[in-house]
Order: sequence, then structure tokens, then C-alpha cells
Amino acid sequence: MFNVKISLFARTRELEHIIDRLHDKIIEMTMVFKEAVDIYLKERRSENYRQTSKKIKQIEHDSDKLRREIESRLYEQNLIPDMRGNILQLVENLDRVINLFDEVAHKFYIEQPDIPECYYEQLQTLVQQVSDCAENMAISSRAFFRDLVTLRDYSKKVYLLEHQSDKTSAKLRKAVFDSELELARKIQINTFVEEVADIADLAEDCIDALLIFAIKREI
Amino acid sequence: MFTYLFFLSSGLFLGWSLGANDASNIFGTAVGTKMLRFGFAALIASVFIVLGSVISGQNTADTLNTLGGIDTLPAAFSVSLSSALAVVLMLKSGISVSISQAIVGGIVGWNVYTSNKTDTETLANICASWVFCPIISGLIAVGLYLIVKKIMHHSKIHILWQDWIIRLGMILTTALGGYALGANNMANVVGVFVDSCIFTPFKLGRFYTLSGVQVLFLLGSLAACVGVFTYSKKAIKNVGKNVLSFSPVVAWIVILSQSLVLILFSSQKLENFLISLDLPPLPAVPVSSTQAVIGAIVGIGLAKGGKGIKWSLVLKLMSGWVASPLIAFVLSYVTLSFMENVFRQPVVLP
Repeated sequence: MFNVKISLFARTRELEHIIDRLHDKIIEMTMVFKEAVDIYLKERRSENYRQTSKKIKQIEHDSDKLRREIESRLYEQNLIPDMRGNILQLVENLDRVINLFDEVAHKFYIEQPDIPECYYEQLQTLVQQVSDCAENMAISSRAFFRDLVTLRDYSKKVYLLEHQSDKTSAKLRKAVFDSELELARKIQINTFVEEVADIADLAEDCIDALLIFAIKREI
Repeated sequence: MFTYLFFLSSGLFLGWSLGANDASNIFGTAVGTKMLRFGFAALIASVFIVLGSVISGQNTADTLNTLGGIDTLPAAFSVSLSSALAVVLMLKSGISVSISQAIVGGIVGWNVYTSNKTDTETLANICASWVFCPIISGLIAVGLYLIVKKIMHHSKIHILWQDWIIRLGMILTTALGGYALGANNMANVVGVFVDSCIFTPFKLGRFYTLSGVQVLFLLGSLAACVGVFTYSKKAIKNVGKNVLSFSPVVAWIVILSQSLVLILFSSQKLENFLISLDLPPLPAVPVSSTQAVIGAIVGIGLAKGGKGIKWSLVLKLMSGWVASPLIAFVLSYVTLSFMENVFRQPVVLP
């Protein structure tokens, strides 16, 4: 009996670490993604970019494994029955954000968009805002498991950063379409900008759901 | 012995219905929120119902016997049966069921029928306890709610560990609730049979001997255990529909408050202690666990700002105070009359 209890506690501690590791992966992804865009703008599809892109793929792969592990352990160990559905949804949402980072990075690798240098600064600002937004989403989500006050503080930051990224992307897209570039290039760059901005939108959706789960968690 | 067991059957039926209905108040929330498995919760509750009944069940029976010392088996059978019928009737009409209140109505019915003087002071104490039971339960629930909320706000415990703590709390509360139910409510089931008890002391190993009355309480509690295992799952399903709107923590606070109130109203020692301090005593009297639960729910609802309280529940609670004893009183009077005039059985010792 005592051994059973010990092993149950050990399994719970393990799951706690897995949930933490999933959040670590998101934060790692935001940093590597920023690095990848910087490298692309400097070197295009270089060996350096290929390695960074590989790193991104690995993070995506690892977080997929962690997500599956969390989902199966929550059910196998019959943990938090009242919040289990919400936590599964939360984990799925986090995974979607990670996937989108991976997709965008991979798209740079495949399509190699030819972005004029005059847009670099705005694009890097957008990438910075989007990455910060996702990072704050990860911090909020981590706080959901421990500290609901912190969750509220960081979710405010997510909303703010999402709003800023919207503005930056709108400005950038307008500048692209106002330019003398060929229509095909304009459309291609526009698609990239939209997809980068989508990451922040997805993070915001994740926070919306998270705040509702938090209301449920309050006693 | 056979005649005795036959007459005791109405008490055992009451015991069964106590297990079937009131067990859902003890662990219904824990099972409804899927924090504990039914079999596990039912086992813990049953063991502690038996312990509570045998160890502390007699305190509240003494109060009932002060109200009316029913001294013949046929009378005890009639009072018990009429209370059981009153409970069934109330259940069908959807009014909050209280075996505790029905049995008091039944005993007063016996007093009136046999022209036995009702101890008005005891009756007043009992009636006051019905009103105070949900109020005290509500106050305890509010206190616990505020404390637990503060702790959870500052502790920053991971949700997974919170889950474990709540589960552990629910297991302990199921045990406490089972003990409290046995201690407080078993007198409703077999209390009226105490004066006519024919059981002899029963040796449990070398060191412990159950008195005849304790054997009677043991039988009543076993009937309650049968009720827990055979029927409470259905009652829990009904409770679950209302309960699922709570978080498990709130559900736990509700059960804990209810259990504490039942213990408060079961302890002779506490009653004596309060008297020694010149404080108004909480009499050892059977109270309704259902109404204690409603009191706790309303208390927490008010602490949350008063929104979402089902005032119809409160009305049902208050209607229970009047309807249960009144119906049991009338039925008891009629059943005793039948028992004496049709079946020619003695309903009072000469």
C-alpha cells in the first residue's frame, strides 16, 4: 500500500515535470524562431539556417511527444477529473502555437521569399512581438497550474503584444503593397507577414480559453 | 426473538433508507465529481457509519427518549413505520427529506395518543436545533471557504498536488461524515426500540463487549450499510446533477461542514462543556444531514456574493421543518390507533 502511494506520488511529480517541460519548449521555440528569421534575413537558405530549422523541427517533435504523454497520463492516472478536459484543450492549444512556429520557419526554408532590405527592421520587430507574445502565453499557461494571479498579469501582456503585432503587420503589409514590387512578390511577402502575425493571434486565442478555465478553477 | 425482529423491521427499513438517502450527502459530491470511486467511498462510509452508531449513537437516542419513552414494541414499530411512510411521502412530493424530523413527529404522535405528557423543553430544544443546524452549517462552511480560499491563493500549490490534497481530504471527510451520520442519525432508526430492547451483551474478542443497546445500533447501522451499497448510487446520480456546478474544493467544504455540524449535535460532552461555560448548549439531537448540506451550500453562495443561490432550495428546507414532523405525527396517531384497536397490540405499558 505504502509503495503504491509512493509510486503514485512519483508519477504525479513526473507529470508535473512533463507539463513544465512543455512550457520550456515553447519558450525555447520563441528564441530559436527569432534566431532563425535573423539568420534567414542575413544568409538566406544557408547551412546555418538549415541547422536552426532542424532545431525548430526537433523542438516541435519533442513537444508533440510531451503533449501525448500529458494527455495519456492524465487519463491513466485519473487525475484532476473536473479540469482534465480543460487541460487537454490547453495542451492542444499550446501545441498548435508550436506547430505554427515550425510551419512558418519551414516555409522560409522551402519558398525562400525574396524580402527587400527596407522591410527587415519592421519584419524583425513583428517577429520580436510575436515571439514575446508566445513567451508570455507560455508563462501564463504555466501560472495556470500554480498561481492564478500571475496568470492574469501575463495574460494582459499577451493581449497588449498581440495588439502591437497586429499594428506592425498591417503597417508592413501596407508598405509592401504600396511599393513598386511585382505583384507575385507582394503576395508572397504578404502571406509570410500574415502567417507570422497569426502566431500572436493563436496565442491570444489560447489565453482567452485559459482565462475561462481559470474562472472554473477559482473556488 | 422472531416477534422482536418482525417489529424491528420498520426500524431496519428506516435504516436502509438512511443509508440510501443520506449517504449521498456524505460522499455524493466526492463520487459525483469523480474524485473517489463509488465502491471505495461506500466502503469507508459504511465502516464509519457502523463505528459512529455503535460508539456514539446512543447520545441522541437519549434525547429522543426524553421526548417520549416509547416502551412497547408494537408502539415502536408504529412510530418507526409512520416516520418511514412520512419520508416516502415527502420524497414523492420532492420536499427535503428529514428522517430526524419525521421521527420526532412520530414520537409526539405517540405522546398525544397515549396521553403522555410531551417534554416541551426538550421539544423546543429539538425544534431550535433544526433551525440552527443549517445556520451553523452555513457559518462553518463560510469560515472554511474563506480560509481555504486564502490558503489556495497564497500557497501556489501545483494543480496536480491540489488534486491529491482534495482527494485525501475527501477520504477523511467521508470517514468523518460516516461516523457523524452514524452517531447523530442512527437514533432515528433504532432509538424508539431502545426501551424495549431485548438484546443481550455481545463479546467482541477479549477486551470489548457490546451492550444490548449497542447490538441494536449495530443492526440499524448494518441496515444503513445495505442502503448505502444497494441504493445510494441512484441518489448520488440525482445529487450529482446539482453538485457538478461546484468545484471539488467547494464540494469538499460542503461535506466537511455537514459532518462537523452532525458531530456538534451528537456530542454529550460538548453539550456539558457548553453548559459549564454558561453558553447555550447544542443538544445531542438527531438533525437532518440534507438540511445541513443545504445550509452549507447557501452559506458559500452568500460568501460568493449571493448570486446563483437557489432560493427554492431554502424554501424546501423550511417547508421540511413543518411538513416532516406534521405528516409523521398524523400517521403515527393513525397507525397507533390501528395497532391498538384493530391488531389488539399494547402501545403503552400500563
